[in-house]
Amino acid sequence: MTTPAVAAPGPGRKPKARGPRGRMTFDRVSFMVVFLGVPLALFLVFVISPFLQALYYGMTDWSGFSPNFNFVGFDNYVKLAQDDIFRRSVFNSVLLAIVVPFATIVIALLFASLVTVAGGASGGVRGLRGSSFYRIVSFFPYTVPAIVIGIIWAQVYDPQAGLLNGILTGIGLEKFKSFAWLGEVATAMPASMFVMVWALVGFYTVLFVAAIKGVPAEIYEAARLDGAGRIRTIWSVTLPLIRDNVQTAWIYLGIAALDAFVWMQALNPFGGPNNSTLVMPQELFNTAFGKGQFGYATAMGVVLALVTLLFAAAVFIGFRLAGGRDSGGRL
Amino acid sequence: MRGSLAAAALVPIGGALASCASSGTGTSTGGGAATTAAGAANNPFGVASGSSVDAVIFNGGYGYDYVTFAADLMQKNQSGVTVKVTPSTQIAQQLQPRFVGGNPPDLVDNSGAGSIGFNTILDQLSTLDDVFAANNLEGTKIESTLYDGVREPGTYNGQFLAINYVLTLYGVWYSQSLFAENSWTPPKTWDEAKDLGAKAKAKGKYLFVWGKEAATYYQTLAVDSAIKEGGTDVRLAFENLDPKCWSQPQIQAVFAAMGECVKNGYFVPGGAGTQFTAAQAQWSNDQQALLYPSGSWIENEMKKATKDGFKMTGVPEMVLSSSPKLPYESLRSASGEPFIVPKAGKNVAGGKELLRVMLSKDAATNFTKTKLAPTIVKGLVPADGFGSTALQSQAKMLDAAGKNVFDYKFVTRYGTNKDMLVVWNAFLSGQTDVAGLTSGLQQITDKVANDSSIQKEKVTK
Repeated sequence: MTTPAVAAPGPGRKPKARGPRGRMTFDRVSFMVVFLGVPLALFLVFVISPFLQALYYGMTDWSGFSPNFNFVGFDNYVKLAQDDIFRRSVFNSVLLAIVVPFATIVIALLFASLVTVAGGASGGVRGLRGSSFYRIVSFFPYTVPAIVIGIIWAQVYDPQAGLLNGILTGIGLEKFKSFAWLGEVATAMPASMFVMVWALVGFYTVLFVAAIKGVPAEIYEAARLDGAGRIRTIWSVTLPLIRDNVQTAWIYLGIAALDAFVWMQALNPFGGPNNSTLVMPQELFNTAFGKGQFGYATAMGVVLALVTLLFAAAVFIGFRLAGGRDSGGRL
Repeated sequence: MRGSLAAAALVPIGGALASCASSGTGTSTGGGAATTAAGAANNPFGVASGSSVDAVIFNGGYGYDYVTFAADLMQKNQSGVTVKVTPSTQIAQQLQPRFVGGNPPDLVDNSGAGSIGFNTILDQLSTLDDVFAANNLEGTKIESTLYDGVREPGTYNGQFLAINYVLTLYGVWYSQSLFAENSWTPPKTWDEAKDLGAKAKAKGKYLFVWGKEAATYYQTLAVDSAIKEGGTDVRLAFENLDPKCWSQPQIQAVFAAMGECVKNGYFVPGGAGTQFTAAQAQWSNDQQALLYPSGSWIENEMKKATKDGFKMTGVPEMVLSSSPKLPYESLRSASGEPFIVPKAGKNVAGGKELLRVMLSKDAATNFTKTKLAPTIVKGLVPADGFGSTALQSQAKMLDAAGKNVFDYKFVTRYGTNKDMLVVWNAFLSGQTDVAGLTSGLQQITDKVANDSSIQKEKVTK
């Protein structure tokens, strides 16, 4: 342990360690306690311990309201595998985790390009006219709490009094009179997804704008001189250069989409027509507090955690593979 | 030095880790200290003077001020006793840790969408027979002042554990003024309902309306109709989650009638995407629909969204034939707002005393007057119904029903309402037919029936 401790100093950095490792002075120990011990303790108590407890409770038949319960092993997981409503909610959550990040990132990237580099074809590289205004406006939805967004859109989608049907019938599309956007199997999920994308796109636009601003303008100028159009510029210049931001955005969005509880609870608190918008956290919540089956609900939570981890792993691997292919183009 | 520091850092962690979510002991013996003056006429449960009572009340359609009213009375009667009334809209979420930890409140109104499933807490509740056996503040035995059948909804596995305070009856509600204007009469049978639907359509109106969170009001209507038609056997099949309960001929006949109404466009379209109070306003304010099946809370709920001169009135739910097993006048009357007294509460006697005050004349009259709904205490609705036609009609329906009241709990007991909503929304919007409705509902009940981890209750009468 002592010998290789100083073996690999970073390139260009001077090795700092001199002599034997410092004594355990009070200074040193208190420093370690405060900056290592306390955060570690908090992490253990508030992250690791609930995690382990969840694993344990997932294997009990705890009702949630009494101190007594029995250990049932993997029965809950067997039951989950056969539970058609839970399977439906897993499907919906996974669907959200695929569609919402993709749609959000594509739109956010387009917006970000428009307000930074997709301006006039002559002169310096710049965004569209009035781009600072668009940039601010696109951020507005993100400043509204998700529950408010959900409630507002639930009203917009109202079949009789809603703004959307009002506009559609107003321009002569009579078949949308009393059309229940959130009540039809075919439209409930897309309508809900639209609300989520609408809510999230502003923040990621700003994120991508910041990332694009970090790219030297000369590169865009060079691309333009070589005759690259706007779409080509996004695909071949912007995207490879802000790859890391896109990857981070994808993971954050995926986790937000796997949760989705607030939006779905506001739009369709009971899971939508034929459970077409039911997501895992909703089913978990209802099983725990509505049906008083905390043990079973905890098992759902464990599955949700696994799906989230799998999703993050899939994104990392996906980007690794994609990066491997066009890493030659990276600067 | 190093070791001791590490140990010092680990001790609190260990403690925190050990105190996991369910480690509460739950052995505190409630009511142990409250023995002073037990049995005295003005203090039958022996509330200790100087003690405090902790009541958590569901803050829904009826608010919680009626309990505060009773609490003030109780504080006046019992010297030195303080009562704390806390409103809550999420009973289960808020009280779950307190039940697990063994320090629940002394009185809980376990109601609303976020209520605690009864089968999870039954063994933690005090029996309340002694409250009904006690005298009210006027000196009359409480049980003799109540409507028939009020003990039933609060009885679980033969034990009387919850006092349902508000008398809720289920009926079909309409606007007396609108009906008089068009010389319509409220339907008594499903055939009459279909006729009325055709008449409504001719006027550009609809027969029924529904909202997405309340689609199962039509399940209540259907099940009640079937029970009136077929009697107790039909009800018991549902209560015991019979594998063929949704295929009983009576319920099938009602479903068929409803299916026809759906097919003929007698329902306001778009209900599956409409918030339920907005849908109800299409009936009470816009008068697009003629009838709405609901519990008697409907008047209070829609108070602010009811057209002037609407004259809301209730009638019993429709029957199928001219010779139903239970008469047309029979009602599903489920007293609602279940008040429970947890065994482990610090002041069990105080919780019961507060219930005793609530069941006495002043507090009960106050409730009826301010909420326009009857409590389980008889004879407190004056002839003018405090100016409410709905309350008048409720008193009339209850009198006409007499002993012909029934109730069932198979939906609330097993918490299946949410799953059933999905099936009903699909049916009422015409996405599935009667067969789909039947198999969907049967699947939901079968799932509960076949799940050995859910404690079942056998209902025999």
